[in-house]
Amino acid sequence: MAGARAFGFKECRKIGGSQIRNLLNAKDFFLFDCDGVIWHGEKAITGAPKVVSSLIKHGKNVFFVTNNCTRPRENYLNKFLRLGFTDVMQEQIFSSSYCSALYLRDVAKVQGKVFVIGGEGVRNELLQAGIPFVGDEDAPDGTIFNCALASDVKAVLVGHDDKFTFLKLAKASCYLRDPECLFLATDVDPWHPLQDGRILPGSGCLTAALEVATGRKAMVIGKPSPFMFECISSQFRVDPAQCLMVGDRLETDMLFGANCGLDTMLTLTGISQMKTAQEYRDSDHSTNQSFVPDYVVDTIADFLPAFEN
Amino acid sequence: MAGLVSNRGCHKIRGSQIRELLDSKLNVLFDCDGVIWNGETVVAGAPEVVTLLKQQGKKVFFITNNCTRPRASYVSKFIRLGFTDVAEEEIFSSAYCSAAYLRDVAKLQGKVYVIGCQGVVKELREAGVPIVEEDTDAPTGTIYDYPLDPDVKAVLVGYDEKFDFIKLAKACCYLQNTECLFLATDPDPWHPLRGGRITPGSGSLTAAVETASSRKATVIGKPSCFMFECIASQFNLDPSQSLMVGDRLETDILFGANCGLDTMLTLTGVSTLEEARGYKDSDDPERKDFVPDYVVETIADFIEAYEEEEG
Repeated sequence: MAGARAFGFKECRKIGGSQIRNLLNAKDFFLFDCDGVIWHGEKAITGAPKVVSSLIKHGKNVFFVTNNCTRPRENYLNKFLRLGFTDVMQEQIFSSSYCSALYLRDVAKVQGKVFVIGGEGVRNELLQAGIPFVGDEDAPDGTIFNCALASDVKAVLVGHDDKFTFLKLAKASCYLRDPECLFLATDVDPWHPLQDGRILPGSGCLTAALEVATGRKAMVIGKPSPFMFECISSQFRVDPAQCLMVGDRLETDMLFGANCGLDTMLTLTGISQMKTAQEYRDSDHSTNQSFVPDYVVDTIADFLPAFEN
Repeated sequence: MAGLVSNRGCHKIRGSQIRELLDSKLNVLFDCDGVIWNGETVVAGAPEVVTLLKQQGKKVFFITNNCTRPRASYVSKFIRLGFTDVAEEEIFSSAYCSAAYLRDVAKLQGKVYVIGCQGVVKELREAGVPIVEEDTDAPTGTIYDYPLDPDVKAVLVGYDEKFDFIKLAKACCYLQNTECLFLATDPDPWHPLRGGRITPGSGSLTAAVETASSRKATVIGKPSCFMFECIASQFNLDPSQSLMVGDRLETDILFGANCGLDTMLTLTGVSTLEEARGYKDSDDPERKDFVPDYVVETIADFIEAYEEEEG
């Protein structure tokens, strides 16, 4: 898109019509967050399936980059199909659980077991990557005073776990006393909105508890860390300048885009509001600039008119 | 000998230096874990020290972030470990002070949602502060539809071995109401166990709730001054006449600094002399408050301080 911008300065500009068409022409790779962008829970955002198919039909590369670590990728694929997204393939889906397994296998090359705080999504991905893990074997009356601790745990991986317990937290803390034991978090999302105004604590809460209990900082796999983009780049030939990251959470998706050198777009169907984006843009703190999107749309369905020609 | 400079100097003292310091103080405040006992094992000489100080006419208080027991249970522990003259009124735990805060400072109108164990629950009941009653062994509802009590006006987070995801979820839902108070018994991050193990502290659980709710807790326990205000309001203590003795620099010593007390680090617990010296040598001005005025190997060294004089 034409127009000079001060280096690092993001305009946070709402765009429509021909501006969107120009943007779609200029980019080859579209990275979508999922929750709040293409669906809400079990309901697709109106028009989102058509946007995805249209991009693919027009020869664009589409990826889904989600911090949600609760499902294995096959399960995500089923969800895509169930919600009407017909052209999505498993290879296009990058979840923080999948990327955590990749990190442990290919980057850390962990020798030994992983202690997991997490659900089916994480466990399944570790299984598929051939990484041995422990995490769920406690007797109902077990305590940190009397429970067994495995001797060959070389990494602790913490992710969303609705069966989180004090004992899991305590065991993880004991394993992390060994400075050689890796400390990974799938993501640090602090909370997620539920349908009726309630909120659900995110992986970030469990990670915070563990960071305080150990005095150590977790290495974060998911957005805003650039690792998931490195995963995509290692499997596909991706040019950051040709990418657009579309998300709904400023502190996660936009920061991720900024960290990876991608143009960013905020869609207003999810968590963050235009007002907050503008406040970050107008703030005196230079670090807040990284939260500011280049572009803003009300919904990704706003792409649809661009395909009608 | 010339008076010791109390200047966050980290001076290791023994014998007559200890005697001189104690002679200048009316009140001695002891932390418990790592100072007078470790778990169920008394620090050798500690009971004798307490008796000795009282014989010398000092007021002795015990000020602990450990919120797992009600005060009556602490009295039993003191007796069990050989302390013969400790009264319940001399014991200030973060559980007791949290209840006092809710009743007397916040003047809570409504219920408290408690993440904590029997220590906290009993102190709240004794203070007449209503609690959300739950059967924690048979939770109702899933993480999406558990019932919420409309009368909750405060959330109190403390050490809880039954902490789980649903408790975390409920706490952060209650805290969506900005009128709902958010208290933590203490900020302690972890506690040492036998065999090199650790157990996560209240601070760890509080961090989870803070992250979920995007709010900061008001902390009752050390290093916050509130527990000193509790004691001072009941016993009329003058900070300049008081000595705080603890084993954790970031908790006990900082507490002393915050309340205007002289501080003594004892080396029978968590913090080391190296760590204390590290804070002293640090360029960061905030670190100065972690530096004790004095250091002893063990509080049993007080006994020798009085014997020397008599010798």
